[in-house]
This record gives sequence, structure tokens and C-alpha cells, in this order.
Amino acid sequence: MKTQFQAIVVGAGPAGSSAALTMARAGLDVALLERGTFPGEKNMFGGILHRMTSIEEVIPQFWTEAPLERHIAKKGTTFMTGEASFHVQHETVNFDRAPYNGYTIFRPRFDRWLAEEAVKAGATLITRATVDDLVLKDGKIAGVTIAGRSGELNAPVVVAADGVLSFIARKAGLRQPKFDAGQMAVGVKALIDLPSNVINDRFGLAMEQGFANEFVGCTGGVRGGGFLYTNYDSLSIGLVFHLGSLRTSAKTPYDLLNAFMEQPQVAKMVRGGKLQEYSAHVIPEGGYTMIPELVGNGILVAGDAAALCNATGVNLEGINLASHSGILAGKTVIEAHERNDFSTKTLKRYKERLDLSWVMKDLKGFRNAPKMLHIDRIYNEYPELVCSMMEHIYRIDGTPKMSIPKLILREVKEKIGLKNAISDALTAWRAL
Amino acid sequence: MNIDEIFDTTSFTIDREPHIVLDSQVCVGCDIRGCTNSCPARCYTWSEAEQKMTFVYDGCLECGTCYIVCHKDAFTRWSYPRGGFGVAYRMT
Repeated sequence: MKTQFQAIVVGAGPAGSSAALTMARAGLDVALLERGTFPGEKNMFGGILHRMTSIEEVIPQFWTEAPLERHIAKKGTTFMTGEASFHVQHETVNFDRAPYNGYTIFRPRFDRWLAEEAVKAGATLITRATVDDLVLKDGKIAGVTIAGRSGELNAPVVVAADGVLSFIARKAGLRQPKFDAGQMAVGVKALIDLPSNVINDRFGLAMEQGFANEFVGCTGGVRGGGFLYTNYDSLSIGLVFHLGSLRTSAKTPYDLLNAFMEQPQVAKMVRGGKLQEYSAHVIPEGGYTMIPELVGNGILVAGDAAALCNATGVNLEGINLASHSGILAGKTVIEAHERNDFSTKTLKRYKERLDLSWVMKDLKGFRNAPKMLHIDRIYNEYPELVCSMMEHIYRIDGTPKMSIPKLILREVKEKIGLKNAISDALTAWRAL
Repeated sequence: MNIDEIFDTTSFTIDREPHIVLDSQVCVGCDIRGCTNSCPARCYTWSEAEQKMTFVYDGCLECGTCYIVCHKDAFTRWSYPRGGFGVAYRMT
């Protein structure tokens, strides 16, 4: 087997394959390493692939080429308690035409497709390859070794796109040896089969329109939230928990997922569906403040490995940031080859490019969002407040009605406390 | 839904060698044992009667939760499975 390449990409997820595709198109001899039997086999996510303008540049009419499920035409947010829910929803024809604003996808199909695009461009995909270590020569990164295989793969530069735990970034000394549980979350998901016509009728969709819904108040008081996304003929339903909160809660993700799916209003959405697959993964939710060093001598870090995930609570973005960072890493490696210089000095152009892009601007702009998500009242008291207030407003029971402002004030005082409510509003304002 | 069924829906190719090795003596002195409730694949079980942590790796979803919630550095090894082994998602 060939062992010498011009660049090695560790991880054939959205970041890695985007990097490999960019470099291969420019004529570089790239190895794309994947630990699964195929790219995407190890990957799961909650569910939305947001619009990827940079991929649209590389693959025009991307949405006609990629294996997508439905495009997101309708988005909703639900505040819920064990018995009640209050729902807001947005829909526009503008999200119902190409280029679409987002899609549901299956990672084992989508990630495989993107990696194959890199292969078509000339990259060498090596599957069943778990990278064991970095190879150093004269203080510079010179390649990698693969677990259970002898010898090494060599290249003057490595792109670490090995996911949220990035052992490569750690080995290169670019990330802290210990993660802060307060900056991490875990998502669990059930995939549920449901005929496409049932999905269309149940969620008010036509053709390949998709619905994406987020839920608050469904995590048993643990910091986190729920999601439900429509695939073509299945639903992705799950919960995300902040690990700092989950680990001391004595509650389990699967029991809470079960309770979520049995909540009366949610139960109606999944009714009649057949459970197909259960999956889980950690998400780097700390945002801007947890981003590691992005560049070292002969190495660049992209995607989840670089904590490029924007979880503001409104849009939960990751793959689009990963792919864009991969493309920028690829462009920087192309430049480094032109100069034949793979030192930090040249590679730091990658960080400059990222800083100038929407990726870092968004992460920086929303850097206080994770702080807002640490307000525990969001996950219990506020959904209860909203649901109870709506019930009082709608209820007709032969007693005189309280004025709405008075009612709001009473409920806020009772459930949250005025001081808390004001302080939370300020935190939220700063965050968003 | 019967919660036990959920774990049977995921496919695995199990390696002979565990990819995660736990020094369960460390767990005896742990005050939280957050792994036992946080692990989405219920790989960690603490027996109060025996004062013993049991860990199984064959249903591991390779999600990383235990690696993050363990604050006692109880792992003598935490790596991903060798290429081709471990969890194999089909459509998630």
C-alpha cells in the first residue's frame, strides 16, 4: 500500500471530507482516513444540515446531488411540561425553494456521499483506519500510525478532523488534556419509521417539505432540550443534555427519552411508528471560549475537533461550520504546498481565514449564549410558567378573568420571582 | 415503549480487545459516579452491596460521555475501537 501523501486528513466526516475534497481538486495527493467500515458509520447528529454556501460553491446544485431527506420549510419551538405544551411555529415559502435553508439527512448516507466526492476528485479514502498516534520527525509532524497496522502513513501536514474528542489535537498539544463537562452535551436519538404520507398529514407538509421542532421543558429538569425532525419516511426524535448537569442528576438519558416520547402531546406525533435505531454522541457546546489552538507545526484542526459548533438554542449548527472550516483548512494546506512550508507561521493563515469568516464571527457574536443555557430555570420553571399562563388565559370556568398583565405578573412572581426574571432577561439579551 | 428494546436496535461489530479499560478500584472512591446514569448505553453499573463498579464495552456507542463526566481519571485506556469494530449506524 502507498504510504507517502502530500496531506493526511484524519476523519471522513463533514470537516475532513470537505478538506480532502478541496485539496484533491487542487491536485494534491491526499489520504482521507476513516475508522468506520465506511464514512458516516460512526456518525450521528440531532438532525439538521443547515445550508452550506461553501459546499454550494464547490458542488453547484448541491441539493440535487446529495442524498438528502427533506428540506426544512417549517420550524417550531415547544415549551412543555408533563401535561401541557405551548407551541410557536414559523413557515415561509422562501424556505420552500432552492437553495434551501436546511435539510434532514442520514449521516451514514450523507457523510459517505461527501467522502466519495473527495475520492472522485482524487483523494485516497482509507477505511477501517483508527489513527493511533502522530509521527514526529525533527519536531515536525510527519505522519500518523494506525491502530492494529504496522508501519506509518507519511505527509508533511495533517488535518485533524477526528471529531469532538480529538485525540489528535490532544497529542499535538493543541487542546487541554481534560474537557470541562460544563461545556459539553450529549445527544441521544431514536429513529422511528413512519410512512411519508402519515408524516405529511400529521405535520402539515407536502411533498418533500420538512418540519423541525425543538422542545424545552422535556428533560426532567436537567439542562437540555428535545428535538423532532422529519426525514422522508421516518422521524428523528431525541434529547440533548448538558453533561455538567446530567452527571449529578441521577437521571438517565434513555429513561428521559422514554418519558419525552410518552408525554401526551409528543406521543401523538410518534404514534404508530416503529423504532429503528438508537444512537448517541457528545457535542462541544461551549462555543467560542472552548476553541482549542487551531494550528501547530504541520497540523490544522477542523470541525467538532476544533469545537466549531454553534448551539445558541435557536439554530443548532455544526456540520455547516465543520464543512466550512475543512474547506479553509484545505485552502491553507494548498498554499503551504506552494511555499513548501508547513510551519505554524504559514498554517496560521487558516486561523486568520476562519476569523474573517461567518464561522468565527457567529461563534464570537454568540459567545455568551452558552452562559444563558446555564440558567436552570429555562428547563423547568419557564416552560411551566408559559403553559400555566396560557391555560389561565384560555380557561373558561365561570369565574371572573384576571387582566392579562396582572396574570403575567402574578405567575412570574409565583413561579420565577421578579428578581430572577429580570436577571434572566438580561442574560438572554446579552447572549442573543 | 419498552426501554430495553431501544438498545437492541443498534448494530455492533465487537472486538475481542476492549477499547476502554477502567480501573474500577478508582470508582470505589468516587463521590459522583456520574458515568452510571449519564452513559446513554448503560455500560456502567455500580453495586452498592458489593461496592463494585462493573463496566461492559460491547454496547458502547463511542459517544464520549464517560470520558468527559469521569472526574477521577479512572480510565487506563480510552480510545476508539480498532478500525472496522464497534458501533455501526445504518441510518441515524
